[in-house]
Amino acid sequence: MAQASTNEIKPGMKVEIEGSPYTIIINEFVKPGKGQAINRIKMKHLLSGRVLERTYKSGDKIDLADVSESQMRLLYKESEGYVFMDEKTFEQLVISNESVGETGQWMLDDHLYEIIFYNGEPVNVEAPTFMEMKIIETSPGARGDTASGRVMKPAVLESGAKIQVPIFIEQDEKIKVDTRTGEYVSRVN
Amino acid sequence: MTHLDKLQCLKDRAHMLKQARSFFDSLQVLEVDCPIITIGAPVDAHIDLISVNYQNHEKRYMHSSPEYGMKRLIAEGMGDIYQLSHVFRDGEYGTKHNPEFTMAEWYRLGFTLQQLIQETVEFIQLFLGQIPSRLLSYRQALMHYAGIDYTQMDVDGLFYYIQTHSIPFYPSIKEEGKDALLNLILGTVVEPQLGQDELFILAYYPASQAALAKKRWHDNEEVAERFEIYYQGIELANGYHELTNSQEQRQRFLEANVLRQALGKHSLPLDEFFLNALQKGLPDCCGVAVGFDRLMMLRHQATSLAQVIAWDWSQA
Repeated sequence: MAQASTNEIKPGMKVEIEGSPYTIIINEFVKPGKGQAINRIKMKHLLSGRVLERTYKSGDKIDLADVSESQMRLLYKESEGYVFMDEKTFEQLVISNESVGETGQWMLDDHLYEIIFYNGEPVNVEAPTFMEMKIIETSPGARGDTASGRVMKPAVLESGAKIQVPIFIEQDEKIKVDTRTGEYVSRVN
Repeated sequence: MTHLDKLQCLKDRAHMLKQARSFFDSLQVLEVDCPIITIGAPVDAHIDLISVNYQNHEKRYMHSSPEYGMKRLIAEGMGDIYQLSHVFRDGEYGTKHNPEFTMAEWYRLGFTLQQLIQETVEFIQLFLGQIPSRLLSYRQALMHYAGIDYTQMDVDGLFYYIQTHSIPFYPSIKEEGKDALLNLILGTVVEPQLGQDELFILAYYPASQAALAKKRWHDNEEVAERFEIYYQGIELANGYHELTNSQEQRQRFLEANVLRQALGKHSLPLDEFFLNALQKGLPDCCGVAVGFDRLMMLRHQATSLAQVIAWDWSQA
């Protein structure tokens, strides 16, 4: 298995710890006085998102994870999962509901998603950071509401995600949403 | 990250180099310029060197500090001296480290450690303004910031402390012994808290961490006459009441080489010119090394060294 020294580990690199893939968040070089140099490395589990902090002696080797990414287009959803197509090879791939996980709420047919492969198997799907979509359900905004300090209201997007939108947004309007936080960004005309 | 104008920073750097030189001038400390590439190596268990090849067959070492050369000059009768020098350390690269960095190092004959601490504080204040300072011994600091008396603890006790305080550690640390465990606690628990709004002087290290400092007894504890100065969790200075005994010095080099080998590193050739100079006689003196780039980083409230030097290691 390929390895990298703690001195070469950079944010974004994918490593394997005890059989699980992690993305490096930060690698801090610490050297107190004249003591042993250490690297304090924070990383995020590629699937669960759990953050792990490890300390290494500077220069120690860490296993690199066999992780690759590729952009694929969502064709349609079926009962077992989502059917994607590779834009270049036109090969089709079914990714289980389990692997898609919470990203499922941002799934729209005919959109491009980032598929993460670990040891050749698709393990995770990332939605584009910003997506534009229609609101399929929200209550009409009452004029007086702003006066009481209430400026947001719940809404359901066409992908199924439930988010908060400003009260002036109406049903069937198109909006831009940040998929990382589920926050409303703007109205789309 | 704050936006810094690099050229403005470098102009201020030129200004501060001049200020540093006039500081030493006013104290009648003379500038010297010892060689950067040497035959013998600076030997320290935890400082790795960058080597060069002369005519493709003679291996020489880039100095990690001008210390040995400066002490040779002092032994020859040069008196109080300083050197502003680039120094080199293999593998030390991060937001607060660059493998090539600038160091201000000076030696004062007949000074006590206290006098040199005072002078170092004044030097640092040139860069950071009139911030107050506070001194705690290594033992006091560990009691205050980590809640432990290291003199009363063995390897098992320190390891238990690390485990119960959820300090991430590397597997071999327990076998590496007490100093390795103390080092981890110092680096992860204590250091980040030091010098939040004052210059923090950490003095009288455990005798086992003396490096090139004299040892003495202090409150039933054998300590090294060594200090470091921190500001905002960043280490700025490392000073010693200098060891002058050549036999003890040779012994410490040999021990450092044994430790290097235990850590899977090469042992390093001793600097016999330096050891000879000690044998001829080094006057009683105190010396300190201050990280110039780190001072500039704090002066400009920069978040990394790369922001205050012309180009960092990845761009050099």
